[in-house]
Amino acid sequence: MLKDLTSEALVRLNIEAKDWEDAIRQAADALLQNGKIKPSYIDAIIKTVKETGPYIVLTKHVALPHARSEAGAIESAIGIATVKTPVVFGHKENDPVKYLFCLSAKDSESHINALADLTGLLDREDFYAMLDHAKDASEVIKYIQNL
Amino acid sequence: MEFKGLVACRAGVGSSLMLKIKLNQVINEHKLPIKIEHGSLDAVSGFKGVLIITLSDVAKELEAKKLPQKIIGIDNIMDKEEILTKLNAFLAAAE
Repeated sequence: MLKDLTSEALVRLNIEAKDWEDAIRQAADALLQNGKIKPSYIDAIIKTVKETGPYIVLTKHVALPHARSEAGAIESAIGIATVKTPVVFGHKENDPVKYLFCLSAKDSESHINALADLTGLLDREDFYAMLDHAKDASEVIKYIQNL
Repeated sequence: MEFKGLVACRAGVGSSLMLKIKLNQVINEHKLPIKIEHGSLDAVSGFKGVLIITLSDVAKELEAKKLPQKIIGIDNIMDKEEILTKLNAFLAAAE
């Protein structure tokens, strides 16, 4: 379940990011600070986007920054971040990005149900509205726990 | 006849899993004769099916490799209309 892989400590609301790279670094910092990933994992995400394009931008205004487990995933986790001013990734359909869900996948199994939950949420307008209006991390986590 | 499709992304743990969920929703809703498995790009070379589905910018890279499979690139994974249109185009061409 999504609620098992995220927590208040992994939520960052209204990040002030100067560009897409800064947005990823700040969103992923929550995972770094909580021992979910190594610094090398963030570098791997940035490197892949630079080399091969914004493949992590999955739908309108949403990015799922992630890399291979070997790049430095310590524990499976999903961070939730919003940026104050949406940033451009260079994706022809889905720019600009406002919501970043940074994924750490330790293996190929443990996060599957959480990602399924997240996929369901990405269809729900009330989810985006909640993220837009949440005053703090506890509101976001409360919403997810009540799913 | 059922077609085998591989959903692949670079890491095989994130985008491709979400894309697989949406693909299976569309395939089930419209009863399309496609069976989906998923993996990272490493799985592509050993894949025996006829179709590879991925995100649009990964698709561009795969197309350059001249693989035997048909490559479908999805721009917006939550857009079921886009997914359906592209799968139907594949099926129409395959029949």
